[in-house]
Order: sequence, then C-alpha cells, then structure tokens
Amino acid sequence: MNNTKSIYYPPGGILIWIIIYLELITFGMAILALAYYGSEERELFHNSSLKLNKTIGTINTILLLTSGFFVAKGIHFFKASNVKKTVSYFNWAMVGGFGFLVLKSIEYYEKLEAGLHMDYNSFFRFYWLLTGFHFIHVIVGLVILIIITFSIRKKQTAASFEDIEASASFWHMCDLIWLLLFPVLYLLF
Amino acid sequence: MKDTITSTFILLLTLTLVAALAASNVSPEIIVTTVVALAFIKFWLVAFQFMELKKAHPFWKYLILGFGGLMGFILIILL
Repeated sequence: MNNTKSIYYPPGGILIWIIIYLELITFGMAILALAYYGSEERELFHNSSLKLNKTIGTINTILLLTSGFFVAKGIHFFKASNVKKTVSYFNWAMVGGFGFLVLKSIEYYEKLEAGLHMDYNSFFRFYWLLTGFHFIHVIVGLVILIIITFSIRKKQTAASFEDIEASASFWHMCDLIWLLLFPVLYLLF
Repeated sequence: MKDTITSTFILLLTLTLVAALAASNVSPEIIVTTVVALAFIKFWLVAFQFMELKKAHPFWKYLILGFGGLMGFILIILL
C-alpha cells in the first residue's frame, strides 16, 4: 500500500484521480450551462422539470448511495484480508448499480412514450445528454466492478490493492456526478 | 472505520430524503440555497468518507472542496 498522504498517491492512485477531476469538470461545465439556460428560460425549465418523476430520481439516488456504501465496505474488508466479505459486498454493490440502470431505463421509456425526446426542448436536450452520459459511466463502472470482483474471487494476484481502490473510486465518481445532476434536474427548477 | 462508513451512509440517506422533501415544502426564496447546500454536504461526505480523501494530501482535499464549493456558489448565483 502506498502512502496516501503523499501528493503523488491519493487513494486509488494519481491516474484515477486525474480522470475523476476531468470527468467532474466536464459534467460540471455542462451542469452550469444547464443552470445558465435555466435562468434565461425559467418558466420552460420549471414546467419541463415538473414532467420528471422526483420519486424515481430520489430512489435512484438512494440506490447509487447504497451501492457506494457497499463498495466502501468491500474495500474496508479487503484491507482486513477478508476476501469472502469483500466479494459479497461488491456483489451487492453491483445489484444496486443494476437496479439504478433498470429504474433509469423505465424512466427513459416513460419519457419516450410521452414524446419527451431530445428535441422536445432545451431542458430535455440537457436531460438526455447529461443523464445519458452518466448512464454510460454507470455501465462502465459496473463492468469494472464485475472484472475486479472476478479477479478477487479467483485470488488472481494481477489485481493489486491500488487497482481495486481505483475501481472503487471510479464507482464513487458515478455517485458524485449523480449528486450534482439530481438536484439540478429534478429539484431546483 | 466500520462505524464511520455506516454512519456516513445513514447521514447520506437522511440528507437525500430531506433534500427531496425540502424541494416541495421550503419557500422558493431559500429552496436553491437549501438544496445546493445539502448536495454539497453529500458530495463532501462521499468524497471524504467513501473515497477516503480524508487520508489524502491536502492538495486533493482542497481541490475537491474547491470544485464542489465553486459549483454550489455559481448554481446559487445563477438560479
């Protein structure tokens, strides 16, 4: 394990944190653009936001946070060399992530059925682009979790602690992005 | 460590429900500040507790807090 107090070794390694900051800045700029256009067209954004299902948004937030909690617990048990519990918690984390994708897909289906597609108005253009890119990130995070869990289960030495911590950091990054997206899209307009 | 992760999780769930309820019940004058402040606290909790940035060099801590704080500040001004 590296010394995480060093500027060169944040938890998970410096490369994953460079990716995380780049992702946060990219999503952050898009969210600020959404807020800017929302301040220009307040009524349109307010009426469009009312068409989103706040309950689904809240449940999705809880699913992602729960999944992040399981990953954090998994890392905790991995440090304690408890592979069985690590795998178990990572499996539950994947269930949470999969639940998020299912619920989000249901929400997408409802929006498409109601004709609220990307060209409906500027709010829904932001909605589809931002949540769509986030959706892809969650899929990538799930694939990484599946690979890393498989690696831990098979006791392959190829996956170092830093690899596992970096995978966990990527998964938590999906939480961080959603924690910014959820209030702006569902609650603030 | 174990208790910290669990208590952070409970706090995150509580803040999520509070934010969802506040969005429907808080007066329009303070809704943006309230919801953005709650989002910033959740952002901080995930970064510092789940991602263990609390153990990292201050550079990484200030960078994430600076990003979250700047986002929150601009959102409050714009909305």
